[in-house]
Amino acid sequence: MSRLGEIPIRIVSRTPAASTGTIGAGVTAILIEIATQLDRLADGGEPGAIDLRSLPMSPGDREQLLKALGPGEVTITLKGDGESTINETGIQGVWWSEYRDRGGELIAGFIEIAQVPAILPVEPDQLRRGAQQLRAGAAGAAQQPGN
Amino acid sequence: MAHYHDQPTIGEMLERHGVSRRTFIKYCTAMASALALPPLAGRAMAEQLRAALRPSVIYLSFQECTGCLESLIRSFSPSIENLIFDVISLDYDDTLMAAAGAQAEMARDKAMKDNYGKYVLVIDGSVPTGANGAYCALGGKSAVDILREAAKGAAAIVCVGTCSSFGGVPFADPNPTQAWPVSDIVSDKPIVNVSGCPPIPEVITGTLLQFISTGKVPDLDEYRRPKVFFGNTIHDRCYRRPFYDQGKFAKSFDDEGARNGWCLFELGCKGPTTYNACATTKWNGGTSFPIESGHPCLGCSEPNFWDKGSFYSALSAPRWGKAGEVSPGDVLKVVGGAAAVGAALGVASAGLSRLRQRHIEKSTTNNEAKES
Ligand code: SF4
Repeated sequence: MSRLGEIPIRIVSRTPAASTGTIGAGVTAILIEIATQLDRLADGGEPGAIDLRSLPMSPGDREQLLKALGPGEVTITLKGDGESTINETGIQGVWWSEYRDRGGELIAGFIEIAQVPAILPVEPDQLRRGAQQLRAGAAGAAQQPGN
Repeated sequence: MAHYHDQPTIGEMLERHGVSRRTFIKYCTAMASALALPPLAGRAMAEQLRAALRPSVIYLSFQECTGCLESLIRSFSPSIENLIFDVISLDYDDTLMAAAGAQAEMARDKAMKDNYGKYVLVIDGSVPTGANGAYCALGGKSAVDILREAAKGAAAIVCVGTCSSFGGVPFADPNPTQAWPVSDIVSDKPIVNVSGCPPIPEVITGTLLQFISTGKVPDLDEYRRPKVFFGNTIHDRCYRRPFYDQGKFAKSFDDEGARNGWCLFELGCKGPTTYNACATTKWNGGTSFPIESGHPCLGCSEPNFWDKGSFYSALSAPRWGKAGEVSPGDVLKVVGGAAAVGAALGVASAGLSRLRQRHIEKSTTNNEAKES
């Protein structure tokens, strides 16, 4: 056996492949959970999230889940210490987040059910620090000759 | 390995290193995920950690193979650089530190003195007690003496790996060096066992971060392992479980069943009696775990895994099912056909008193150790 590719391995998904169009029981359960969380959010409840890592999903399941949620219209890229992406799915308020480290490795994956993903909002102390920074910059510019 | 006397908070350290709050939340969210905490708990953990003081960590390696440290420095979430330089103050680790010889020993003694009562002591490797501890000595002192001295000023001890947790390979029959786990030598400090040969890197860092963020020892199982990581068996969370339940087993490593990804129980999988997070946290940044690569679980995070017979004998082998208990072997004898085994074994294992089983295992361990 000289090449890895020559090792005869067949991967069998425990749910039918996405291409067959049949949705497996595991994926159905996740979709129902998302729907429940959407209802709760609409009724004034807290945002929710489902940790993709905690679900024993086969690649086939994942494909099916992504297909069932569909593509959405918002894509967010977070650039701190590696590029992470948050994509809104075809269901508004349902976000597919993938956090990566600086080596591009996936370190966490979530389906977030929220108006805005929790990592985005800025805290008041940061807003104040921003304002201070701008004022200091403006004061510095005002003191320069010619102003 | 700087040591900071002014004790900055972790948040201040992060700012000095240009790590933004969102980036830190990202890492804490990943850590919360590895800890099996609710996904939104990462944010709370980030805020707690930002307000916490940067703790001193002293890492001592005794009778070990360095596999545990290799595992730790390949940690993905958070990356070890972040963990070491931003969150913890690793004051002594003779394998990683640049200093050597007397200088290194001085650094250790100084860190112990400056942080007396507050540092986290991480131990990797078992502690040989034979020949007055001569089998493992550092700077002229035996491991057992160093451990006793270092333990005195520790806030808590984290045993990394099966060797420091349960004795591991050095403790295996005939235990020529009279090696002991840390908990048999130190009895007056909180001890957390992060077992595994080696442990999963995220489990090591997760345990340390959880301790740092809450200041408390996490909930532990009967073997002092953090329940968040060791609360389920590999079998509980194994993606091959549907095949087990259907009685579809690979009989050899290259048969049709193996190629189809069927259950590895008959090839010796110890997943049903092994508590660890491999099936969910996985290895190499979540890439896969042994069963996913086609190899049965060896049971490396359990006490005495090395002395329980062949890795390739099915669990029905007598050393895994203890005398007087319902063992998978009994189920096999009664039920017969493989198709029924899955369901029947599930029922039988659930019916076992885990505590009782562990007591029996523990007394066997002690007897075996005494005999050696
Ligand atoms: S016996 Fe092993 S391979 Fe089979 S389902 Fe259990 S853990 Fe997975």
